[in-house]
This record gives sequence, C-alpha cells and structure tokens, in this order.
Amino acid sequence: MIRTEKLISKMKEIVGEAHLIRDSDRLKTLRIDGKRPKVLVYPGDTEEVSRIVAYAFDHTLAIIPMGNGTKIEVGNPPEKVDILLSTQRLNRITDCDCDNLTLTAESGITLKEVQKRLAQEGRGYFIPLDPPFTEKATLGGIIATNSSGPRRYMYGTARDLVIGMKAVFPNGDIVVSGGKTVKNVSGYDLSKLLIGSYGTLGVICEMTFKLLPIPEKEVTVLIPFIRLEDGDAFVQEIIDSQLLPSSIDTLNRPAMERLKPPVSLTEETRYLVAIGLDGVMEGIEREISELRERGKKYQSLDPLILYSQEHQSFWSALRDFSETLKRQRILFLSFKSNFLISKGGEVMKRYEKIMSQTGIESALIWRSGNGILYSYLFPGRSLKSKMESMIELIRQLTSEAIKNEGNMMVESAPTILKKKISVWGEMRPEYQVMRRLKEEIDPRGIFSPGRFIGGI
Amino acid sequence: MNRDQMIEELSKIVGKENVLFSETDLLLYGYDASLFKAKPDCIVLPNSTEEVSQIVKFAHREKIPIVARGSGTNLSGGTIPARGGIVIHFSRMNRVLEIDIKNQRAVVEPGVFTLTLKNQLARYGYVYQPDPASERVSTFGGNFGENSGGPHCLKYGVTTNHVLGAEIVLPDGEIIWVGGKALDHPGYDLTGLLVGSEGTLGIATKLVLRIVPKPEAVKTMLAIYNSLEDAGRTVSAIIAEGIVPATLEMLDRLTIKAVEESIHAGFPLDAEAVLLIEIDGLKDGMERLAERIIEICKENRAREVKAARTEEERAQLWAGRKGAFGAVARLRPNYLVCDGTVPRTKLPEVLTRVMEVGKKYNLPIANVFHAGDGNLHPLILFDERNEEELKKVHLAGSEILKICAEAGGTISGEHGIGTEKKKEMFFVFTPKDISAMRKVKRAFDPEDLFNPGKVLPEVQT
Ligand SMILES: Cc1cc2nc3c(=O)[nH]c(=O)nc-3n(C[C@H](O)[C@H](O)[C@H](O)COP(=O)(O)OP(=O)(O)OC[C@H]3O[C@@H](n4cnc5c(N)ncnc54)[C@H](O)[C@@H]3O)c2cc1C
Repeated sequence: MIRTEKLISKMKEIVGEAHLIRDSDRLKTLRIDGKRPKVLVYPGDTEEVSRIVAYAFDHTLAIIPMGNGTKIEVGNPPEKVDILLSTQRLNRITDCDCDNLTLTAESGITLKEVQKRLAQEGRGYFIPLDPPFTEKATLGGIIATNSSGPRRYMYGTARDLVIGMKAVFPNGDIVVSGGKTVKNVSGYDLSKLLIGSYGTLGVICEMTFKLLPIPEKEVTVLIPFIRLEDGDAFVQEIIDSQLLPSSIDTLNRPAMERLKPPVSLTEETRYLVAIGLDGVMEGIEREISELRERGKKYQSLDPLILYSQEHQSFWSALRDFSETLKRQRILFLSFKSNFLISKGGEVMKRYEKIMSQTGIESALIWRSGNGILYSYLFPGRSLKSKMESMIELIRQLTSEAIKNEGNMMVESAPTILKKKISVWGEMRPEYQVMRRLKEEIDPRGIFSPGRFIGGI
Repeated sequence: MNRDQMIEELSKIVGKENVLFSETDLLLYGYDASLFKAKPDCIVLPNSTEEVSQIVKFAHREKIPIVARGSGTNLSGGTIPARGGIVIHFSRMNRVLEIDIKNQRAVVEPGVFTLTLKNQLARYGYVYQPDPASERVSTFGGNFGENSGGPHCLKYGVTTNHVLGAEIVLPDGEIIWVGGKALDHPGYDLTGLLVGSEGTLGIATKLVLRIVPKPEAVKTMLAIYNSLEDAGRTVSAIIAEGIVPATLEMLDRLTIKAVEESIHAGFPLDAEAVLLIEIDGLKDGMERLAERIIEICKENRAREVKAARTEEERAQLWAGRKGAFGAVARLRPNYLVCDGTVPRTKLPEVLTRVMEVGKKYNLPIANVFHAGDGNLHPLILFDERNEEELKKVHLAGSEILKICAEAGGTISGEHGIGTEKKKEMFFVFTPKDISAMRKVKRAFDPEDLFNPGKVLPEVQT
C-alpha cells in the first residue's frame, strides 16, 4: 500500500493532479484481462513520459502504454499492471511538411484527426493507412500493433510508411531513430523494431509518416460470386495482371450480412470480391470495364459500382467490422491468419469447413492480395460449455495456416480462453532472438509483462 | 589460434581450394569501394548455409571476427576487415533458388547479382523493384546489408520494403528464419531490423523477395537546365505538387561531361544540369501526367524537355545514369561519394551549399543523385597520393554531411555508415540513441564478432 501511495504522489508530481486517475471504481473499468492498474496517468509531453518510465524502471513497476484502448485487449493476459500510461495528451501534429510529403505527429492523436487536417492542406493529402477503428484509433496504437486495412494492397503497412520515430525506452531514455527523409540508413532501423511491438519495448511518442496526395478519383467495384473457387480464380488473375487496385477483399455471406450499412446483393451471392480503385480518371474507367469482363470469365454475377459516399461507407463498414460487433454487444472471437498469397481461396474454404463442423456461424474477410484472413466467430452465450471445442478449433485453424507457410493469432477472445491457448500462434525459432532483444532493451521486464509472443 | 591452424580448420569445412590466403588475396579482400583498407587473416568461399553455420561456429569458438562480403562495392567501408579475421565471400552461393510467380516471391542466395534475378524475372513479365546503379555486380547479400536504394526507390521504396524474410546465421552459428513468404508473422519485425544492419547482426544465407508484375506503361523524359538550382527547384516542385514519379534523378555539368566522354548517353554538354524523370503505371492518363511534369519543368526554367521515343533511347539515357560513377571516376584518380539525404524541400539550398564546400577546399565536385528522394551524392574528386588533398577531402565530406544534418536530413540515405561515417553519427544521434542501438547489437552479437567496429561509434556510459 505504501508503495502505491508513493507511486501516486510521484506521478502527481510529474503530470499534475488533474492528469491522473486513481479512483478504484474508475480503474475497475480499465481492467485488462481482469487486472486493475494502480493508476492511470496522462503525461503531457515526451519528457513527462520519460520521467514516468524512469520511475517505473527504478522501482520495477509494470507499465502498459495505451492510446484510446481500441486494441488493448489483444495479447496474453498481463502478468501485472501498475501504471497504465495514456498517450491521449500527446496529441499534437509537430511538423506538417506536405511539400516534402511527410508529417510528424505525437502518438495520442487519432488518425482521423490527422487525415482531416491533411485533407485541408493545399491540394489535399493523406497518410495511406486505413486500419480498423476509424474514429478512435490513435497513431501510436496503430503503429504499436502494426494495424492495417484493405488499402495495404497498394500502399503497404506501417513498415513501409513510418520513416522516423521518437520513443521512450524502458530505462527512461528518449530515443530517436530515422527522421524526415524518405531514405535513411544511418544506424539500426529501430522504428521497425517498435512497429508491432505491442507496448513491450517502450512508449512510442512521435512518428514521421510518408504522405501521398489524395487520389483524383476513388471507386469500388463489388463483384459477386456463387462459388468460392470462381472468386478465388478471379482474384488470382487480377493479382497477376497489370491492373493496379488499391484493395482486394473477399467476404463470405455471413460477413456481408453483418456489414453496417449493408450492401444490397442478390440472394444467390455467396462470396463478394470488393475491389477498391484509386487513381486518375482515365485509368479507373478502364479498370472498371476490365474487371467486369474478367469477372464474367469466372461466372461472376452482375457487379455493383460504388461511388463517393457509398464507396467511403463500404470500406469503413469493412474496416470497422469488429467495432460494430462490439457496439452491438455481440459476443465474438476473432483471429488473424497469414499464409501464402495464392493459397487464400483454399484456406478460406478449409476454414469454412472446419468452422461449420462446430456448428458455429463464422464471418470471413480475406485480404486477398496480401494472404491475410480475418475470421469472426459467434459462439453465442454459452462459451464456457464450448471451451474444449474452441481450443480444438483454434488448433485446427492454426495448423491450416502453418501448412501454408503462415500462422494464426487470436485477436479477440475472452480472458478464460486466452489463458488456455497460444494467443500469438505457434512459436518459431526466431523467437529466441526476440526474447534476447526484449531482455536487452527491457531487462527488468516492466513493459506490458507477459503479454506478447511466448510471454515476452 | 595461429593462422595456419585456422586455415586448416576452415579447409575441413569448405575444402582447401575454397580458403584463400595468398598475399594478393588478402590485399584484394582488404578493400572495397570506400577509401579504407585493412587485411583479413583469410577468405572462405562457402557453398551452403550449413557450411556458413560451421564456419561461424568455429569462429565463435575461437573468437575470430567475421566479415560477410558480396561484391565489395559498398561505399562506406562496410566490408573492410577492420579487426582482421575471416571474410566470408558469397561468390559460390549465387543461385536463384525459386521464382514463385503465384505467390509473388523470389528466393535467392546472397551471392546472386541484383540484375541476374531481374533478367530472369523479365521472362515472366515480373520485376524486383530496387535498382541500385551498381545492380550489375551488387549482390542481394550486399543490398540486404546496406538497405540499398536506387532510382526507382522513389516510388517503390528501398530494399527493406522488398525483403520479406531471410534465413539467417546468427553469430553463434545457429540458423533461423525471420519473416518468410507470407506477410505479418506475429512477433517483432526482425527482418526489418536486419536489413541495413551491415552484416553486424546476422548473415543472410537466403532471402525472400517481393516481386510484382511489370508496370503496363513507362515514359522517360530528360529535362535540361542552365542552372543547378533550377533543376533542384523543379524536383521540390514536382514532389510538392504531389506527383511521385518512378524516378527523379539529377546529373550536373561535370557528371554530364564525364558521361558523354565515355558512354554517349545524349546529354547536352553545355547544360548545367539534367533531370532524368520516369513515370510508370497504367497507360491511361499517363500522357496527361507527363504534360503536367513538363509544365512544372518549364515553370522552373528548364531549357528543354525531351521524351525517349523508343526503348533504345530510354536504355541510352539510363546507361548514362547508371554508368555515371564509373565515368566520373575517369576524371581524377579518386573520388569520395557523400550520401547525405535531406527533405526534398531543402534540395536547392543544400545543393548551393555543397558547391560552396567544393570551392572552399578547392576540390571539384560532381553531382549525380536520387534527387526525388532528397538523396545527394556529391562526388568529391581528388588524388589520394596527394596527402594534403586526402586530408581536405575528408574534411569536405564531413562538412557536407553536417550541412545535410542541419537541413533536417541525415548522413546516409543508402550507402551505410560502415567505418566511414561513425564519427558523423553524432550529427544526427545522441549518445542515448546510440546506446539503444548498442542493445540491439548485444542481443544478436554479445561478443562483437560480426563485422566489428562498424556502424556504432563508441559512447561513454
Ligand atoms: C558505381 C557504384 C554505384 C552504386 N550505386 C548505388 C545505388 O544506386 N544505390 C545504392 O544504394 N548503393 C549504390 N552503390 C553502393 C553498393 O553498390 C551497394 O551498397 C550494394 O548493395 C553493395 O553490394 P555488394 O554485393 O557489393 O555488397 P558488399 O559491399 O560486399 O557488402 C555490403 C554490406 O553488406 C554486408 N553483407 C554482404 N553480404 C551479406 C550477407 N549475406 N548477410 C549479411 N550482410 C551481408 C557486408 O558485410 C557489408 O556491410 C553503388 C556503388 C558503386 C561502386
């Protein structure tokens, strides 16, 4: 108890009374897998983050960094959490250099706000990232979880778009890597290490992104199929062509039906291939007609073309699929599988089969150009009684992905289930190096202890 | 351990004929495309991952330093055996193991030349995008080690964006895979960390590369200028307009002269600078984009803008660009390439300051560089037999890097730190930044056996 009092008075000293929460009822609502933090702090700048972390380091207190908490549930249950460190007040754009096509901002600002600002600059710019939780995801949270969306097909992911970073390391050091040049090989690329590190190596405080001008035109082509084999063959042909879609996602029927707002599709549609097109007018027009023609070759039903508002809301519905479920208070589990690009159709088919055997409804969204599949399972109320079959199901789905040179992680699941499975999929030999990195950088194990792969 | 014993042990692993140690060999493997020299104890030419692993295990046991080497064309002293030891040369591990069109990946051994793969891909209508000007001889191991760039990296990103996985021999000889053909493996992005680590963390024995269908159309243009600053301003203006061409390369007067004397690319001898601009992608709308670029060139006082009309004309222009370093090398006995990189908005101002440095030290400077990336390559010409010039050239190089750092840029965009720019690391990093990097080094190589003495300067802690 004395320790907690000391911790809180120290935190007050650093961030000020107004920027900390210690009320136990409030903290109860912030439990992570049942673990309640002793204090929630809102540092106002990187310097304050550094002082908080240095204190935690000296006293071996566990810290979990957090943005708006949209993905805080991902990972193993933490071993311990003393300080929950919110980046919400680190919310400034520190350098908006559109002429150089770069932007630097702090981690607590939402991507949405940054995009709004960029759209108003000059001819209009954007960060080519479209991760889930459109309204609430912060830059720091997106980067720390390597979160991405459908347009990664054209624009890549954080590892392609983040060129500089400022982070507070576990000993309290403020560490900078990269910068605002689009090419940079000065020293090790620490940004790459922090991208997707899920709060286990430090607090990401500031990032520099590459920007692009907003495309002249954006359109969606929805191509319905009755058979997955046809949709798959069509997708593989597009990937192998010289067309340049920005995104290619394939949805099964349950996924389509849960989209909000829904798309109007015929009864017979079982699978929907959604293709996003960004670019110049002339190109888009030709691409639409080519997609139509190529679809016919594979028995597609009549395509639907979505423009402007309809186009935008389709993709946000898709991106925010899990958020919508949460808002509706629907119980679900979700997994992310990766595998060889060409094997997506097969994997999807196998997944449907495995899941239907358990009698549980499942919505599937296959990022078809990237070899990634998001599965959502709706076990209904009585999860407890289904625990064993869930564990077996996860094992089967994981081994299917591994067979195709990939793996599977559990993105969302109740704590009781998480405790019984390997959230991050099967461990590979490279894990030993990850472990050593963690030990060198965070020797006292204070950052998000136990949450990451292999209990890192 | 004495050298004879070392050679004997290594011969057991790779065979006698694959261990080199003659005086000539030690000399040949003791330098690279930088200005540094040192001598290894011996050179080994392994033929498989297993052999590499055994060599490393042996070296690890005996605490002998190891330097991985491709073609030795790096420009930062990256392959100089600063503390002697064993050089592992990958000339025999030069197989393209797999071209997997369906999954858009190629798997290569580290000794494959960049262009060799590209030529093989052409048959399938596929490309590997990064294109260092040295691609005819640079190896994938070297590209991986330096995170190399090239003209097309403006639009497509550098080596790190195209290496998705690797088989790695760790400093204790253990073999692991990082990343792979599939994207988004759970865990830290070790591949991203290893690319550009200059052989100091792990040795790649296989690389998984991203390959993509070749663009439908391409258009190459040459803009000609009477002033270097105008060319620089055009680059800033094109980027500010939000146009990201596939390439945006600049050559200045001295470079043009050298190129024309040796390659005859068709660059006008009386120009102060030319820009080599290429756009690619869908054929639709390409003309309109090209016209807009030409307009911007004209607004920034381009004297003339020519478009390549045939594939031969295009190839000729590119031969001029790719052969530029070699051409400049004929002007004087030696050159030092600086690799400072700046925000694109700072290009005109930094170019002017770079030329002032040349005047200050009375050394000729030729510029040929990846302008669209803000990645300068001033080539400072000198004669290393002249001690005074040798001293001056290092001072001038360092001063140019300082200018780049002060302009919000960095000291190396693609050539690496090696032994050459360790001091200058402090222009852009604090001792704390360096200590953080050192932790990474320790996690991989606690005994400092892989390419010791590179990249990280000493810091007092
Ligand atoms: C004329 C000329 C033009 C050039 N143009 C460009 C250009 O446009 N863009 C550019 O980026 N560079 C350029 N360079 C620099 C150089 O060619 C590149 O850095 C190239 O990638 C080096 O390849 P290499 O095979 O010669 O590697 P080396 O010089 O042999 O090695 C480079 C580094 O990689 C490490 N390494 C080698 N093999 C392995 C391995 N298997 N595993 C781990 N590490 C390894 C080495 O230890 C060293 O640190 C140019 C050089 C010259 C001389």
